[in-house]
Amino acid sequence: MHDDHKCNCEQPLVPGIVEVIDIKEETPDIKSFYVKNIDGQGVPFNVLPGQCAMISTPVGEGMFSCTWQEEQEWLQFAIKRVGLMTDDLHRIEVGQQLGIRGPYGNHFPIEESKGKDMLFIAGGIGLAPLRSFIKYCFKHREDYGKIQIIYGSRSYADLCFKDELFDLWPKEKDTEVFVTIDRPEEGWDGEVNFVPTYLEKLNPDPANKMAVTCGPPVMIKFVIQALEKMGYSDEQIITTLEMRMKCGIGKCGRCNIGSQYICLDGPVYNMVQLRQLPPEW
Amino acid sequence: MKILNKSKLEEVLNRLGENADVYVPMSKGLQSGFYPWKSLEGGKDELMLDALNVYQPPKSVVFPQTERMYSLYQEGKGLKIEETYENDEPRVIFGARACDIKGIICMDEVFLTGGYEESFYKARRESTTIVANACYEPGPSCFCAAMGVDPLNPEGADVIIRDTGDAYIWEALTEKGEALSSTIKDLLEEKELSVPEAKPFIQQVDYDGVAEKLKGMFEHPIWDRTSEACLNCGICTYICPSCYCFDIQVKMYGHEGYRFRCWDSCMYEEYTREAGGGNPRPTGRERFRNRFLHKLEFFTERYGHPLCTGCGRCIVVCPAGINITSIISEAKEADLDA
Amino acid sequence: MNDFTQQIQDIASRLLDNGQVDVFIAWHKGQQDFQVQPYFARSADEAQNIIFNDYSIHNLSNSLLKFRDSKEKIGIVVKGCDSRGIIRLLEDNQIQRERLYIVGICCPGMKDPLQAMRDELGFNHKPESTELAAKCNDCIQPNPVIYDELLGTEQSPRVQDRFARVKEIEAMSADERYQFFEETISRCIRCYACREVCVACDCRTCIFDEMRPQWVGRENNTTDNLMYHIVKASHMAGRCIECGECERVCPVNIPLMLLNQKVIKDVNELFGPYEAGMQYVEGQKPPFSMYEESDPDDFL
Ligand code: SF4
Ligand code: SF4
Ligand code: SF4
Ligand code: SF4
Ligand code: FES
Repeated sequence: MHDDHKCNCEQPLVPGIVEVIDIKEETPDIKSFYVKNIDGQGVPFNVLPGQCAMISTPVGEGMFSCTWQEEQEWLQFAIKRVGLMTDDLHRIEVGQQLGIRGPYGNHFPIEESKGKDMLFIAGGIGLAPLRSFIKYCFKHREDYGKIQIIYGSRSYADLCFKDELFDLWPKEKDTEVFVTIDRPEEGWDGEVNFVPTYLEKLNPDPANKMAVTCGPPVMIKFVIQALEKMGYSDEQIITTLEMRMKCGIGKCGRCNIGSQYICLDGPVYNMVQLRQLPPEW
Repeated sequence: MKILNKSKLEEVLNRLGENADVYVPMSKGLQSGFYPWKSLEGGKDELMLDALNVYQPPKSVVFPQTERMYSLYQEGKGLKIEETYENDEPRVIFGARACDIKGIICMDEVFLTGGYEESFYKARRESTTIVANACYEPGPSCFCAAMGVDPLNPEGADVIIRDTGDAYIWEALTEKGEALSSTIKDLLEEKELSVPEAKPFIQQVDYDGVAEKLKGMFEHPIWDRTSEACLNCGICTYICPSCYCFDIQVKMYGHEGYRFRCWDSCMYEEYTREAGGGNPRPTGRERFRNRFLHKLEFFTERYGHPLCTGCGRCIVVCPAGINITSIISEAKEADLDA
Repeated sequence: MNDFTQQIQDIASRLLDNGQVDVFIAWHKGQQDFQVQPYFARSADEAQNIIFNDYSIHNLSNSLLKFRDSKEKIGIVVKGCDSRGIIRLLEDNQIQRERLYIVGICCPGMKDPLQAMRDELGFNHKPESTELAAKCNDCIQPNPVIYDELLGTEQSPRVQDRFARVKEIEAMSADERYQFFEETISRCIRCYACREVCVACDCRTCIFDEMRPQWVGRENNTTDNLMYHIVKASHMAGRCIECGECERVCPVNIPLMLLNQKVIKDVNELFGPYEAGMQYVEGQKPPFSMYEESDPDDFL
C-alpha cells in the first residue's frame, strides 16, 4: 500500500532540510506550518492524503499527518502543542529550517471512495489529517458525490481552519458543513453538542457513503458506535490510529498494534481491518 | 576437509585481527560476552569458545546499544546535517552459536526488508563476517530446535566450525567465508575428522500451533497470572539476541550536537508514553503481554518465524524467574474459553 | 525449610479462607530445581503451591508497590532484610499497616537462584558454587523487624566487617578510584533492573523516566552511566535497607551495594548512626525525607 509514495532515500532515518515559509495560528494551541525546500524549489516529497512525515528540530522528532500539499509549492502541517518537541515548534518563526523525512504510512482510500458520497467526522486537531482528504475531494470534485463534514471542538476558539469551515467549504458544490462546540458560549448560536451525539442527531443516510473519522480516541470510539447504529457497514467506516512513533519506517518497534506497525501499515484503517487487530487502540 | 588445530587458534584470531575487529566469546571477570579479541587480558580474561552461550550475545556488534546517526548544527534559523556516521569497518564475529546468529537474521529482516533498508544497520551488517560454532550438546536452557533453529548447521553463517576435541572442522559456506579462509590458508590443515555425535535436548518445548492459538488469547487471563511476578526491568530484552527495539534521541551542546539511537524495551512505561501523557500500555501486564506476543505471535505473522531463537538467556537472567518456555507451554495448554 | 513451607501454606490458607487477606505473597516453584518465583496466591487452594526453600531469596516487599492503589488486604512473607523494606514503604506512606499481615522468617541465609542458574547453565566459565548468596554473607539483620507472626528461631548477623569493601576503595588513590569506577560502571547496560527491584525506589515517576526535562541522557557511555549511578546512590541515602537485591539481579555484576554502603557509611559518619527501616514509629521520617524551615540551606 505504501509502495507508490515512499521515500527512496538511501538513509531513511536521516532527515532532509526544509524551510518554514509561513506560520498561521489556527487556534490558541494549534499552528499551521508551511514548508518548502531550502533552495526555494518545490517540496521534499509528494504526499497523498493521510500520509505523514517526521519533522525534527534539535529538540526532538515528531510524526505529523500532512494537512495539505499545494502542488510543488509547499507542504502544510497543522500541529498542536502537546509536549516538549511541539512546544519548541510553536516557538519558531518564519525562515526557520527544520528536518523532515517521509512520506510515511498508507493513505486515505481516495480510489475506493470514488463515486461515493463522503461523510467526514472530526474532533479537535483530528480535522488536520481529514482536511487533506476533504481538499482532495474538492480538487477532484467530479469524482466524489455529496460531501458532508461534521466537526466539533471544545470551544469556538479551538475550531481549526475557521475560514474554510464557515466561508469556503459551505460554498463548494453539493457540500454541507456542520460545526458544533462542546459547551455553550457567548456569541455562538450554532450547535452545542459532542460530535458523536450531533452525528446521531443529523443521522446521515449510509447509502453509497464512506464515513471517515478522526479525533480523540474516545470520540472515535463513540462515533464508530453511532455509525454502526445508523447502519454503516465495517467497509464504510474509515479512521486513523495514533501510537507513539520514533522511526516511522517499521523498525523501532514501538508503534505496533498486534503485528501491524501503525507508522508503516497504517495509520489509515477501515473497521474490517481494525476488527482483526487486538483491542489496544 | 579443512581443519583448524586448536593450537593455532590464537594465531588465527591474531591474523583475522589484522584486517578486522574480531569479536569472540570471552569472560571478563564475572562477565561474559562477545568482546574484541584485542581486549583479552591474559590472566584475567578467558576465551570461551567451548561454552555454549555467553551472557551478552553478539547483537551489539551489528546493532550497538548506542549509535550516533548524524551531526546537527544550528545557526540562527539554519539547520545543517554535515555528517552521518554509518560504520562499515570490517568485523568478524567468531564462534557465535546458531541461536545468536538467528537473532541477527531476525534483525536483518527487520532492518533490511519491509520497504526500507536502514542504512546504519546495513553498513555494519554488510561488513560483518560470521564464523559459527556448531552445537553438539545443547545446554539445560537451550531450546533453539523448538523455535526452528538448527544448532548443527547455523543459518546465516559464513563459516561453520565444528569442535572435534583438539581441532575444529572448518567449513566456508559463502563468498565472505571463502575470503576469510583465504587469509588464514596457511594455518588450516587438510585432514579427515569425524563430526561429534549430537546429544539430545534437555528442554522439551512445543511451539507448534502456538502462534495461531495466541491470536485468540490477547484478553486471556493467562496474562494476569504470568505477568504478576515480572518487574518490567527489561533485562530479558536487553540480553536477548533478537530484541531490536530502539529509541531515537538527540544530544545538543549549545548549537552543535548529534542524533543517536539506543536500545529501548517494550517492558518500559516510557516506551509507548505519548507526548500528551497517555499510554496505550499503562501497566506491567500489557507490556509483559506485548513482549511475549511480539516474540511468539506478531513477529511470526509478519516474518514467518518467531522472534525467539531459543537461546535461553532470558530464562537465566530474569530476576523474577519468568520462563518463556513455560509461557509457550501454558499458551499451548490454555483453555480458550477461560 | 520444608517445615517453613508447611507453616506458610497453613497460615496462607487460614488467612485466605477466613478472608483476612485477599492475596498472599510468597514463592512457588519455577522450572529448575533451584528456580523459585514470587507468587501471589488468591485462594486456599492456590496457597498449596507456596514453597519456601534455600532459593526463596527475593525481597517480596517490593511487590507491595503493585498494590499501593488498590484496597486489597495482603499477606506477605518477609525475611530480616525484606521486613525493613516494609518499614520503608510504611514510612513513605506507600501502603497502610492495617492492610498487611506480615509473616516474618528468621532467616538462615539464602542461596541465589540467578547464580545457580548461571553456574548450572554454563554461562559462567568458573562456577562460584558459594554456599550462601553474596548478599547473605553481608547480612546485618537476619531477623524480621516487623511482623504479625514469626517463624523460626532467632539468627545472629553473619556480617564480619560491614564496610570492608568500602574501605578498600577508600584506601585507593583518587586516580585508582576513578579508574575502578570508570571500568565498572561503563559495563552498565542501563536496564534499570537495579531500580525496579529496589523497594526503596518507590517514586511514582522516577527521575530517570522524566522526559521534561530529561535529567540523565540515555546514551550508554561512561558519562551518562556515571550520572545514573551517582544520582541513584544519592537517592538511596537514608533509604537503602541493604537487602542487596540490586546487586544480585544486575545482569552485568555492577557492585551496586558498594555505592549504597559508601552512602550508608557517610550518613552514619556525618549525621550520627542511622539504619534505614529498622524500626517503625508512626509518623517518623528518615533523614533526607523531610524539610524544616530551620534547615541550613546555604548550599543552594
Ligand atoms: S540454543 Fe541451540 S544454538 Fe543456542 S547454544 Fe543452545 S544448542 Fe546452541
Ligand atoms: S520477564 Fe524478568 S527479566 Fe524480563 S522484565 Fe520481567 S522481571 Fe525483568
Ligand atoms: S526470548 Fe529469551 S530465549 Fe528467546 S531468543 Fe530472546 S533471550 Fe533467547
Ligand atoms: S547497574 Fe546493572 S541492573 Fe542497574 S541499570 Fe546497570 S546493568 Fe542494569
Ligand atoms: S515508529 Fe518505529 S516501528 Fe513504527
